[in-house]
Amino acid sequence: MIRCLVTDDSRVMRQIVVRTLRQAGYDWEVREASNGAEALESVRADEPDVVLSDWNMPEMTGIDLLRALRAEGFGTPFGFVTSEGSPEMRAAAEQAGALFLIAKPFTPEAFREVIEPVLA
Amino acid sequence: MNAPVTTVLDASVVHDQVSAVAQEVFAAMVDGDAGLLLPWEGELPVLAEPVVAWVDLHGDWAGRLALRTGAPTANALARALLGLPDEAEVSHADLVDACGEVANVVGGNFKSLLPGPGTLGLPQVGDVLPQTPGALRLQELPLAWRGQLLAVEVWSFGAQDAPRAAVATHDGPAIPDQHGGGDHA
Repeated sequence: MIRCLVTDDSRVMRQIVVRTLRQAGYDWEVREASNGAEALESVRADEPDVVLSDWNMPEMTGIDLLRALRAEGFGTPFGFVTSEGSPEMRAAAEQAGALFLIAKPFTPEAFREVIEPVLA
Repeated sequence: MNAPVTTVLDASVVHDQVSAVAQEVFAAMVDGDAGLLLPWEGELPVLAEPVVAWVDLHGDWAGRLALRTGAPTANALARALLGLPDEAEVSHADLVDACGEVANVVGGNFKSLLPGPGTLGLPQVGDVLPQTPGALRLQELPLAWRGQLLAVEVWSFGAQDAPRAAVATHDGPAIPDQHGGGDHA
């Protein structure tokens, strides 16, 4: 079973992401983190198969989390789930090593569209 | 120091953009279907227990995107987002979280439509908007979500938008606000 770390400072949004994963057909084992710093500690302690992260968070942003992971040698597959999907952010995400960026609001279909190619 | 505000927005364009964004966000995130967020018809009620959620945008255009509604509607919104039944109790923390996240997503999508780079602040929730020197309400959309008032407001922190903000106020009266907070344009 795929092990996923969902990172978002909003508990409500984490719940929506987990629900949407299930609706998209991904019966993954999910654990949660409420900011980038917490997620970094979580990956260090037990690396998941994939990280889904918000961008804009207190303590440590999603992009700083991704850069910190790569700097520490973690190649964990990483995707953003964020309220902004501007071309600048997509370029920054890709440059930092993100596999995809899902813009909020999203649908189960939007999850499948970006996750299926990664699983393949 | 913040970069100078250089982008000027047209209030009528903002109206259409924010309306489309709000419809999309509620359809995808809250209701699972389109059509439950409609233009408000008739007189605007006084919000006895106002809940205001907002995010600030900084960059070539600087301003604020705010949602204003009553506590019962905010509770219903939180229940909808959390997938709870109609009679379920909602904690204050979940109410703040839910309303802030809706403002965050509407604000983030609105920001994506703006030219140039910029940043989005973290969402905040209270009963009034904070006073911001020089802020002007550029647009106000009174909407009905499940029949209850939910207004989306766009505030500009840049003087360049001022002439058009004057036009924007002709679209309808301001939402009555017992506290008078934020309505200092």
